[in-house]
Amino acid sequence: MAQLLHYCLARGPNKVPMSRDYNYILPQEGFMANADGKIVADHGQSRWSDLWTKEDYLAIWLGFLVIAVCLVAYFGFGPKKEFAQKINAAVQIQKTEEARAPFKTIAWYKADAAKKLKGSSSSAFGKFISHWTKHPGSWKSNPMDAFVRTEAQAQAMNQKAMPAYEEARAQAEETLAAAMSAEKAAEAGGFQDQTLNDAAKAKIADWRAAEKKASSLKSKIGNKPYNYIPTLIGLCVFMIIFFGIGNKFMGKSTTEFAVGFLIVFLVAVLAYMLGGQSISKQYGIGAEAWGVVLGMIIANTLGTPKWVLPACQVEFFIKTGLVLLGAEVLFSKIMSIGIPGIFVAWIVTPIVLVSTYIFGQLVLKIPSKTLNIVICADMSVCGTSAAIATAAACRAKKEELTLSIGLSLVFTAIMMIAMPAFIKAVGMPEILGGAWMGGTIDATGAVAAAGAFLGDKALYVAATIKMIQNVMIGVTAFCVALYWTLKVEQEGEQKRAVGAGEIWHRFPKFVLGFLAASILFSFLDSSIGKEMSSALIDQGAVRGGTRLLRGWFFALSFAAIGLSTNFRELAKYFKGGKPLILYVCGQSLNLVLTLTMAYIMFYLVFPEITAKI
Amino acid sequence: MAQMKKNSLLWRLRNFVLTLAAVLFVVYVFLPCFTSSFDVLQRMSDSLEKNGIDPSRYYYTDVEQVKEAELYLDSIFKKTNNTGD
Repeated sequence: MAQLLHYCLARGPNKVPMSRDYNYILPQEGFMANADGKIVADHGQSRWSDLWTKEDYLAIWLGFLVIAVCLVAYFGFGPKKEFAQKINAAVQIQKTEEARAPFKTIAWYKADAAKKLKGSSSSAFGKFISHWTKHPGSWKSNPMDAFVRTEAQAQAMNQKAMPAYEEARAQAEETLAAAMSAEKAAEAGGFQDQTLNDAAKAKIADWRAAEKKASSLKSKIGNKPYNYIPTLIGLCVFMIIFFGIGNKFMGKSTTEFAVGFLIVFLVAVLAYMLGGQSISKQYGIGAEAWGVVLGMIIANTLGTPKWVLPACQVEFFIKTGLVLLGAEVLFSKIMSIGIPGIFVAWIVTPIVLVSTYIFGQLVLKIPSKTLNIVICADMSVCGTSAAIATAAACRAKKEELTLSIGLSLVFTAIMMIAMPAFIKAVGMPEILGGAWMGGTIDATGAVAAAGAFLGDKALYVAATIKMIQNVMIGVTAFCVALYWTLKVEQEGEQKRAVGAGEIWHRFPKFVLGFLAASILFSFLDSSIGKEMSSALIDQGAVRGGTRLLRGWFFALSFAAIGLSTNFRELAKYFKGGKPLILYVCGQSLNLVLTLTMAYIMFYLVFPEITAKI
Repeated sequence: MAQMKKNSLLWRLRNFVLTLAAVLFVVYVFLPCFTSSFDVLQRMSDSLEKNGIDPSRYYYTDVEQVKEAELYLDSIFKKTNNTGD
């Protein structure tokens, strides 16, 4: 038994083999030597065969395969006709009500609610993919709850939540009755009596608040039993086949990948389980962070077995995940809160990103440009997702990505707690506070949490500003990739003309796949109407399709990062504390600029928008 | 001899167990105690639980509250013919 265990954990002379193959920087092709045999320059050339042999292209094809399946499933076989009928009927009711009354009536709101359809829960494909991509769920004290919930447990949870739901439901019905009565009274006055109209509006607002509370409590009485273990096994097999195809085309051993992938997948599953604990979640320590931590603990104590390393394909998982993430980057979102949102999210962000990068290079003199830009993007744009996209675009090392995300996690947890407390303490208006937090706190979940601590309006503004920043990662990744290809990678080389062909060869192609997915989905989003887009794209192809796999691909990539990261290598990047100083200085600038811009936009230039919120 | 000892399976297993235990202790013992020791942190924790918000989620499509915010702002800014609100 001991001998078997020893064989399984067999590794090379170093605790973690640090082959360059598992580093983030991709080996460059076509190096030419000068007369004394030293490497001088990369004269890479693209070939047609790259389309089916290179990782970037394979990430695009696999990503678009998933996208195509999701789009065909929802647009070709989904309940599009049924949704169109429901939406049209609701729109007609709303138009009738708008013509009838000078305020939004009960019937108007009910029709509005009827338009909020979800493709994922109404289609067989949506239910299928949701079932088979389930990851370990939330738990409090028993980790097995993340994998299995019995019928008895589900019933006990429902029974516990039932009294609160029944009370909320009764309250909602009571307020509905009062609202209907007030509306009838206003109608009896021909909607000419402003007092009666205002009373009706107030009662309708009470009903909506009570209805919202009852709806949120309804989900707590709908607990069902589950067992995720069979579906996790099925998902593992699917991913072996999915990424195995890519490996085959890249000329790598599918068998070696499949065997090693079992461990990478297991680490990702355990990371989801560890990240599902309620306190861990609340401090922002999710599956991705646990994947790195768990992987690194294994790598630096037991040692990652050699046979696992062929499956630690960090870049491949991340690039495929990023192509899927492109489907979630919808450009129409940037107008969600009007021009103030664009200024806070899209004007301040690039100023902070560029300024902090220059500060890092000229003042702090951070040796690694890639580390510098990844930290800047992480801090100024939107945290982990921006760090992933930027790291991939500039071919940063995985240690640099890990360090950047680690810094972000720590400060996100602090800011999520400190900012709402500070905003309340100084008496800052909710909307200004929400915009400030949305533009500065890195993770969207943490932004929502911080906004919720402050109030509903702060939550809505904060979450929207963060969403607008999220949409920026496509542009950020593209610009960084371009800058790196045209400028940074040219530095230090002998001066020579670099043709378009070489620029094309060096450019990270997966960024184009990422952008293409974004453009495709943005086009679909803007061409089929808001309600249909919400039902079939947002709540269909994206949340009921691409997003489910995207989450898994990133979890796998972080598990792979952990399994192939050496503590000493990671510590090297932190020497002198420069990354920490960069983050703190950059975030300080971000805080000042965002608050200033939010105040100017929301209170000086567009106070009418603020008044409406 | 010392190096051989350090590389031995038992030694590595020991390090693995100790490191993992330390990390799990910090997250699952220290953090909950820390949270419950401060009223403001406990209230925040209860609020997150009640509202179903997951601060570990990093992209807007992973956070339900972003959709709620979108819908709210859409209803605010939507131009209607005769409504005064």
